Amino acid sequence: MAEIRREGDLTVFQLEPKERQVLLEIVDRIEPMLGSSHWVAPRAYREEELEREFRRLAGEDLERARQADLATLREGLSGPLPVRLGDPEVWGWVRALNFLRLALAEQLGIAEDGWEEGYSPRQHRRPPLATLHLLSWLQEELIDSLA
Amino acid sequence: MAAVQPVVTHGTGHSASEERDRPWQVVVWNDPVTLMSYVVVVFRRLFGYDLETATQLMLKVHVEGRAVVATEPRERAEVSVAQLHAHGLQATLARD
Repeated sequence: MAEIRREGDLTVFQLEPKERQVLLEIVDRIEPMLGSSHWVAPRAYREEELEREFRRLAGEDLERARQADLATLREGLSGPLPVRLGDPEVWGWVRALNFLRLALAEQLGIAEDGWEEGYSPRQHRRPPLATLHLLSWLQEELIDSLA
Repeated sequence: MAAVQPVVTHGTGHSASEERDRPWQVVVWNDPVTLMSYVVVVFRRLFGYDLETATQLMLKVHVEGRAVVATEPRERAEVSVAQLHAHGLQATLARD
């Protein structure tokens, strides 16, 4: 069973090859949703002109940074097991996981706090909600490892 | 981030330099899925807040729907918002 622990300066993610494969497939499935997510690329300004200028200056850098974080996640999951991550890589993972969670949640129509109560226990145990919970668990564990 | 273009001053009654020096608020908005623990570590990382301050700001976002996490000159505030976006947080700029 997957486990995350700290060993000195490194975060160690122990998981089975099958679990690794599941995570990579989840990344593959959700990544195409990022492009249409408002939460993944939110506005900075209410005013259209200022927003256009912000996008012109920062939009490409933000997109590149997102792609780099997703690449860090994929590379980590594709390398030797257990996965060993320095703190910069852990940050790349937690950012990438946040983008994936945002895009998936938006796709599911989650819009307000308390959304969990709108689903049955069975729905929580099955995809796509179980996928969201799995990504949440992984992100939370990685955040704990940073602290 | 690249240099910021001159500020639009139409109707504000301020000169371009006055407008540039006016502080702007960096506002973070609640979303229903981002983990509270994540918001706290991002606030600490980007703004250097101690755990207590970062936690209070996160709770303000969660309970009130938004919180001003910094008040800075516009150029610096844009960088802060871009950094928050790079971490997947919902952040906007508003005139102080």
